[in-house]
Amino acid sequence: MKRFFVRVYDLTAFSLRFFKEALLPPYEFGEFAQHLQNFGSRSFPLVSVIGLLMGLILALQTKPTLERFGAESFLPAMVAISVIRELGPVITALVVAGRVSSGIGAEIGSMRVTEQIDALEVSSVDPYRFLVVPRVLAGTIALPLLTAYADLLAVLGAYVFMFVSGGMGWQLFVTSTISSLSISDVVPGIGKTFFFGYVISIVGSYFGFNAAGGTEGVGKAATSAVVFASFLILIMDFVLVKVGILLFE
Amino acid sequence: MIEITNLYKSFGDLVVLSGLSLSVARGETFSILGKSGTGKSVTLKCIVGLLEPDAGEVLVDSTRVDISNRRGLSEIRKKTGFLFQGGALYDSMSVRKNLTFNLRRHHKVTNNEANEKAEHYLTLVGLKGAIDKMPSELSGGMRKRAALARALVIEPQILLYDEPTTGLDPITSAEISELIGDMHKRFGMTAIVVTHDILCAGIVSDRAGVLKDGLLKYTGKMNELAGIEDEEVRGFFRNPL
Repeated sequence: MKRFFVRVYDLTAFSLRFFKEALLPPYEFGEFAQHLQNFGSRSFPLVSVIGLLMGLILALQTKPTLERFGAESFLPAMVAISVIRELGPVITALVVAGRVSSGIGAEIGSMRVTEQIDALEVSSVDPYRFLVVPRVLAGTIALPLLTAYADLLAVLGAYVFMFVSGGMGWQLFVTSTISSLSISDVVPGIGKTFFFGYVISIVGSYFGFNAAGGTEGVGKAATSAVVFASFLILIMDFVLVKVGILLFE
Repeated sequence: MIEITNLYKSFGDLVVLSGLSLSVARGETFSILGKSGTGKSVTLKCIVGLLEPDAGEVLVDSTRVDISNRRGLSEIRKKTGFLFQGGALYDSMSVRKNLTFNLRRHHKVTNNEANEKAEHYLTLVGLKGAIDKMPSELSGGMRKRAALARALVIEPQILLYDEPTTGLDPITSAEISELIGDMHKRFGMTAIVVTHDILCAGIVSDRAGVLKDGLLKYTGKMNELAGIEDEEVRGFFRNPL
């Protein structure tokens, strides 16, 4: 138990250090651009499939119930609100955590155990600024974009289901979707993904940075990064939903 | 010049260094011999501030490393080359980028100058053809050579070697040792070589010391050490490979 709290304290200190280091030069623009591209390209195919499936499954699940009450026309609104407010951000974040957080943990962890981080330090390069700051910035910016993309695909998935099952035309579907959404759905939904993106990258970096004990340590860093990041995303989601309700409703 | 006085370092209950003292003159190459786990690498890491000693003083060119802040350490590190045991080449960069990375950040050289220097030092270590390869495409010996070129390219006043021949076959070990010896003759830098390879120590060192029980027990020229009546020291000379 003591070890857990020590770890939480360390992770908090490591996470807060980001806000200080990100402001100080030198700024690693090249690294940032590369990690932004990595973040996107690593997650893009998976997020595309998950987004589309999310909409399809949600429509498939809810259509019979709505039909029973004669409320089938509410399906686009129901899918859009559920996806944009909650399912899109959380599922995308969890999927990306599995893909990216473990990747960052393994990458930085392997640099730690092969002394590449020591080599950076001996070269007078601050490893935190060079390795962590660009990754975390990239993660914080990339996840909202990926989530918006996944949300769009989910809505498209729902439409595909409605179209195939012969229920609704494109124009009616789009009108119904857009009119059901308000700013209080979109802003909290996308807003919380900035926090999730930050958590995914910082947790991966933390476990990678503290990897020890050769290849076994790298594996542990990758696994712990996913578990901890997923756990924190869900806790944070609970808090941010509460904050969203207070601010927007 | 490097001066270490009464250096202590422990990891939990494990005492690694217990009062180590060492003095290396400018332009001298000193080898630290010792069995695995005796604290050879720990000593090197204390010299560049990668590890903080529990007690004792580490002086590099009249700067106290053990009490230096980030800026002070940075100044010492800019004039120090470090060859890591596994090479520690940056996996995500080509050999060229590995060499020019540090130059471009701290040594105010243009891209062209950095590339020229990289090519020059890779030629010196016999690796010019591998300049655009990735570290994963290199063999163990080539990695060591590339890492040596990376350490040399900043033209350091001090060079620290952590087991430069470990994991290499005897022929490549001898080649790397000869290469290190040549570089020292050519550039005259101050160097500390941590090794348990007695052949390497014989080729590169002006003086050497045997690290045992957290202290440098014996120091002297290699031929002087060879005559010491200590089972561990004799063990090194009896089994040179």
